[in-house]
Amino acid sequence: MDRTTILTELKKVLAPYTENKEMLDGISEETDLVKDLKINSANLVDIIIDAESKYNIEIDLDSAEKMYKVGSCIDVIIDKMNLSA
Amino acid sequence: MKSAGNDIVALRLVDKQRTSQFRFYSKILSAGEQGLYGQPQFAEMPFEKYVWLLWSVKESTYKYLKRTIPNLVFSPTKIIIQHIEIPLGLLKNKFEGIQWESTGCSEEFYSGMVIYGSHTFYFQSKISKEWIATVVNDNDNFENVCWGIQSIDHSGYFHQSKEVRTLLLNTLNSFFPGDLRVEKSPVGYPVIFKDLEDLHIPVSLAHDDLFVAYSFNHDPLLPSTK
Repeated sequence: MDRTTILTELKKVLAPYTENKEMLDGISEETDLVKDLKINSANLVDIIIDAESKYNIEIDLDSAEKMYKVGSCIDVIIDKMNLSA
Repeated sequence: MKSAGNDIVALRLVDKQRTSQFRFYSKILSAGEQGLYGQPQFAEMPFEKYVWLLWSVKESTYKYLKRTIPNLVFSPTKIIIQHIEIPLGLLKNKFEGIQWESTGCSEEFYSGMVIYGSHTFYFQSKISKEWIATVVNDNDNFENVCWGIQSIDHSGYFHQSKEVRTLLLNTLNSFFPGDLRVEKSPVGYPVIFKDLEDLHIPVSLAHDDLFVAYSFNHDPLLPSTK
């Protein structure tokens, strides 16, 4: 699965947690989940859990703390998918 | 360096089922904190309330630290609550007003100690039927920590942001008269300006759903124009 596909899928994961739908449509790897999408920090755990379910992966605490930008979320997802392949 | 850290959690939005899943709460609570819940003092506290009480303490501590450690990343399990005190009868505390403010230690709170690496902090939390709110300080004397909570009429991000700034500035004006405004530092924490002057008042802002909350550290030795 390539980065562009995961980025497109991430929009669906993030959608329930942001009001900023216009920004969500145009996200890039540099988009910050809290600063740009105004996602409440309490929902970051929800996003990690949703990503675990969607990709059937387990995200450890050290990896979870890197997931504050779209690009770093993709890095972690690819890394964990490779581990479970 | 004095700082400020607060948080508010709207209980209406808490997903009880998800919060009770190990894979969820284990990303927030350390192993020791998971064990702490087994103590008799928490017998009457639902688990989801315990998890979000600790979350609010951790988030408040992170905000307090962010002012002095700008590149800090929030990692809840690395901010560890050492103990929590629950004054007798407080679990039955019913708060149903639209606004609450405290400027000192005039009432009893959930309280305790929290550590991050070599740093030690203290917290006070208040739990109502609708929210959990917390403030953090670097010592256990909260005499100069002012904090307040208010309900608002709708929950859009920009409305929350505007309302919490209005609430804070209304209270700050009683200490610092004049035309105050809130700006954001490059790191993201709020800074209070009067005209072009940074007043160096450590403040913290939080909002969730229909509630906004502020805290600030009012050192009586700070220059005031009052």
